[in-house]
Amino acid sequence: MPGSQAPRWRFLITPKWLAWHLIMVASVAGMLALGDWQLHRALAGNGLSWAYTFEWPIFAVFGVVFWAKTIRDEFRPPVSATPGDEAVALPAGAVPAPAGARPDGEGAEVDAELAAYNAYLARLHGEVKGHGRWHGLR
Amino acid sequence: MRINVILYRVMAYVTGVILIVLCALAIGQVWTSDGAAVNAVGTVHGLLYIVYLIVSYPLTRRLRLAVPATIAVLLAGTVPVMTFVVEYRIRHRYIEPALAQQDAGPREAPRPVA
Repeated sequence: MPGSQAPRWRFLITPKWLAWHLIMVASVAGMLALGDWQLHRALAGNGLSWAYTFEWPIFAVFGVVFWAKTIRDEFRPPVSATPGDEAVALPAGAVPAPAGARPDGEGAEVDAELAAYNAYLARLHGEVKGHGRWHGLR
Repeated sequence: MRINVILYRVMAYVTGVILIVLCALAIGQVWTSDGAAVNAVGTVHGLLYIVYLIVSYPLTRRLRLAVPATIAVLLAGTVPVMTFVVEYRIRHRYIEPALAQQDAGPREAPRPVA
């Protein structure tokens, strides 16, 4: 259904993620403030502070870049994750039918078996590709 | 992936060792008041920590670690001894399973028995 497609970004405004956003903004602001503080110390004659004057802004940039990448990665997998969830309920197709159950002719049986096997391979492929999607954030 | 793991482990150990050296020197400063060595090692650790971040962040994404675990990995480089602890845990819990799965890879699925 189309309604379930639109709010993919919704997870970003869940309380947990809002808290993370706040923490990130606060820590980046904190790093910039520390950099500014070190700049003042450096200008006051503390030689070592020059290193930290550049280091803190670098950490702040890292924070922003890493955060952006984390969010971008969260967007990517749902395409494979959603069918994967459905496929988990499907291994019945992968389990070979009992040897006795052969109502059709041999050809139909092979086709069904092949289709089931292909579905199984596709499911494995999807699971491997999307592996860990739900191991990550919970 | 494998290169990333090796780089991460190397940087985890190097950063961890330098940090312990830094702490030892900082404690020693109480008696010797020799600030130069502490400053030098501190700057080196700062630079190594930047490299550590650059190396370890991509690995956390490849392993698809949760946000808290990712932050734990990234901050480990600033807490004495923590890199060793975190590296050990991450290796056993995430890296080894991920590598094992990668080796198994698109392994041939068991054939349905008719």
